[in-house]
Amino acid sequence: MLQRVLQVAGALCALGIGMIQPASAETYPSRPITFIVPWGPGGGADALARLTSRLLEPQLKVSMPVINVPGATGQTGLTKLLTSPADGYTVEVVTGDTGALFANPHSRFKLNQLIPLAIMIQQPSGFYVSMNSPMKNWSDVVKASKQHELRVAITGYGSPDALTVAYFKARGVNLQAVPFPQPGLRYSSVIGGQSDVLYEQAGDVRSFIDGKQIRPVMLFSEKPVAGFENVPYSGKLGYHANLPQFRVIVVRAGTDPKIVKTLRDAMAKVARTKEYAAYLKQQYALPTSYIPGKESGAFLHNWLAEAYALGYSKKSQSAK
Amino acid sequence: METFHLLSAGIAQVLQWQDLLAMLIGLVIGMAVSVMPGLGLVMGVVLALPFTYTMSLEPSIILLTAIYMAGTYAGCFTTILYRIPGEPMDVPLLWDGWGMTKRGEAAKALGWALVAALAGGLVSSAVMVALAVPLSKVALSFGAPEYFAAVFFGLTTVVALADNSLTDALISMCIGLFVSTIGVDPTYGSERFTFGQSILMNGVPYVMVLVGAYGFGEILAKIGQGVKIENRPAAGGVETRFPKLREIWAIRATFLRSSVLGTLLGIIPGAGATISSFISYAIEKQYGKRGKDIGTGIPEGIVAPQIASTASVAGHMVPLLTLGLPGSGATAVILAAFLLHGVQPGPFLFQDPKSTLVVYTILASMFIAVIGMCLLGFLWIRVVIRVLKIHQGILATLIVMFALVGAYADRNSLSDVWIVVVFGALAWVMGRFKLPVSPMVLGAILGPIAESSFTRSMITFHNDWTIFFQQPISASLMGAALLSLAIPAIRAGFGRIKPRRRARTNLQETRSTLPSQ
Repeated sequence: MLQRVLQVAGALCALGIGMIQPASAETYPSRPITFIVPWGPGGGADALARLTSRLLEPQLKVSMPVINVPGATGQTGLTKLLTSPADGYTVEVVTGDTGALFANPHSRFKLNQLIPLAIMIQQPSGFYVSMNSPMKNWSDVVKASKQHELRVAITGYGSPDALTVAYFKARGVNLQAVPFPQPGLRYSSVIGGQSDVLYEQAGDVRSFIDGKQIRPVMLFSEKPVAGFENVPYSGKLGYHANLPQFRVIVVRAGTDPKIVKTLRDAMAKVARTKEYAAYLKQQYALPTSYIPGKESGAFLHNWLAEAYALGYSKKSQSAK
Repeated sequence: METFHLLSAGIAQVLQWQDLLAMLIGLVIGMAVSVMPGLGLVMGVVLALPFTYTMSLEPSIILLTAIYMAGTYAGCFTTILYRIPGEPMDVPLLWDGWGMTKRGEAAKALGWALVAALAGGLVSSAVMVALAVPLSKVALSFGAPEYFAAVFFGLTTVVALADNSLTDALISMCIGLFVSTIGVDPTYGSERFTFGQSILMNGVPYVMVLVGAYGFGEILAKIGQGVKIENRPAAGGVETRFPKLREIWAIRATFLRSSVLGTLLGIIPGAGATISSFISYAIEKQYGKRGKDIGTGIPEGIVAPQIASTASVAGHMVPLLTLGLPGSGATAVILAAFLLHGVQPGPFLFQDPKSTLVVYTILASMFIAVIGMCLLGFLWIRVVIRVLKIHQGILATLIVMFALVGAYADRNSLSDVWIVVVFGALAWVMGRFKLPVSPMVLGAILGPIAESSFTRSMITFHNDWTIFFQQPISASLMGAALLSLAIPAIRAGFGRIKPRRRARTNLQETRSTLPSQ
């Protein structure tokens, strides 16, 4: 409690000082940088933010307190970032789930409201079934779906999960997306038999795969996935559904280019640390996950185009 | 037998000084955060997480589990003594706890809460250690319709909250349910009742409704009393007074019922201490021997929810350890602590003797934590009770400060501070109009879970509402819920025919005793 009060008091003081002293690129950073996590504590985005902030602090020589602002598929946290000044003192980690919302033509937010500092992690997603399920592989799933509709546990509507399910539905696989925002409930629904199929990143359900509770039936990737050499991937099965989960660190558009450069350089140093490499491995992430700031804009554009093609374009809704 | 062996080996491990120290610190933190309105036990676990980075695995998990355990207990202090629930799960406790305090039986109420926490913690830990794996598997069959039915049953606690008019209580509950729908809808992402204001887009978190209605609203009511601030009715001794064995034996059925219920509800992923507490209270109201008197300040009303909330801790820890499934906010953070140490909890933890010992050490730590928590609670209450002697003006200021800082700290959002103020004012206005506040809080707490499980049932079963009556578990829960709503309504219907005139005179009497403005 005391720590929290001090933190809040510190933040208020910092706010006061910030008002007196206009932010300048020359002296940046001269006060703590707030790191927004638009998801609850304990999740994947939270873990990345806490690791990154710990590795960034010695580079930038200021503290980077992580705050959790969960709600509405990350939109609550995003609103907080976009209503803070564009001075580089607020950064945020944005995940693919929120990213997919940008692909919606009616989205409240647009990609050009943000400047990416670096893509920090890319993880292939996949479809999994319970070990007790009569379905053992992808062709079993397709066959079973001809008999009755299969329930797929996903995070929520508008997410890459939902777009991928829509893609397969359009191709005659009779799937029904059921949203479970809490990861624990999502996993237990599949292990307990409430849902037939689970959509998730391999890294997030590693313990269930290793513990022989669920098995992957397809991973979404163009190339075979390291660690899952025996599991078929969408590229091999002839599907164009390869959206990886990604997590990118961003600042608000309009931030001074010099400040953006300082932050991007610091991220590059983080990406070269041993701890970061170990983290990627533990998460079953692509070894080439890190994309430096300048190139990450192009990555996001491609990713969004793919998400749009998957779920919103007319072409995707008709069979190939 | 093997379980017993492993457990004794676990106990031997816990008695090492590092583990004991971690547990003690955890218990103290858990008690501190849960007595502050607005700061919950999940927040306590989150705040402690960074400190476990440098610790080894066992003490880290023991520390976090101890916070979790103590967090389900210490909130009863403020609830019973000041009518300010420290945690949402303490709300059912308030109805009878405050009733006893008003009669000068605060010490006794605290004693009952302590005995209940002890019983709930020990019984559920024992059951879970013995039957962990089979029980967890059964719990996994709980689907969306069963969730909805359970929460719906929890909502019928409203009957217990209706002081003199069920209609008033239902109106108040509907206000709470309405409040819980404000914001971006969790399933489809559409905005509801936000009027384009970003402050409303984030929704109205029930913790803020709770802190506003009880914490802030209580202070407003106090200010309304002006200089005539009466001293807290804490007469009758200020130490914890334990109930006599005879008294415990008299309500053994309550103990048994609530322990079983708390443990079972705990294993169900997502049910949490709050739902367990509400449902246990509702069951007691419905089936308890003195169910009719629940809500007037009888020990059963304290024992039932307290046992259930503490019992749910073991119920949640075991699926985490055996299946790797976090069923609540606190266990999700504990899972994160496991992962940070490179350990994935799950069935394979039992495949290797070394990691099996870790699991049993953690299980053993729960037994010792329950006992430690009650010892600490016994000592701590002497300190907490001193607060009663502080001048009410100063105390009120402190409560307002903690309520507002706590509101801000939860999501780092200033709009939450305003929400607390608004609900404080609303509770005060409702109080003036004799509209009960508790049903509103009940609606706001259970509304979001009811909604998401209802929507999920409708998505899964293609809008077939009869699904709630097709499965045995959900059907019996729905039946019990409808019955508990119907009985008072029918009774009221019969009652209305005869004593209408008497009721009218009663009403006039009540009006005339209202303080004149």
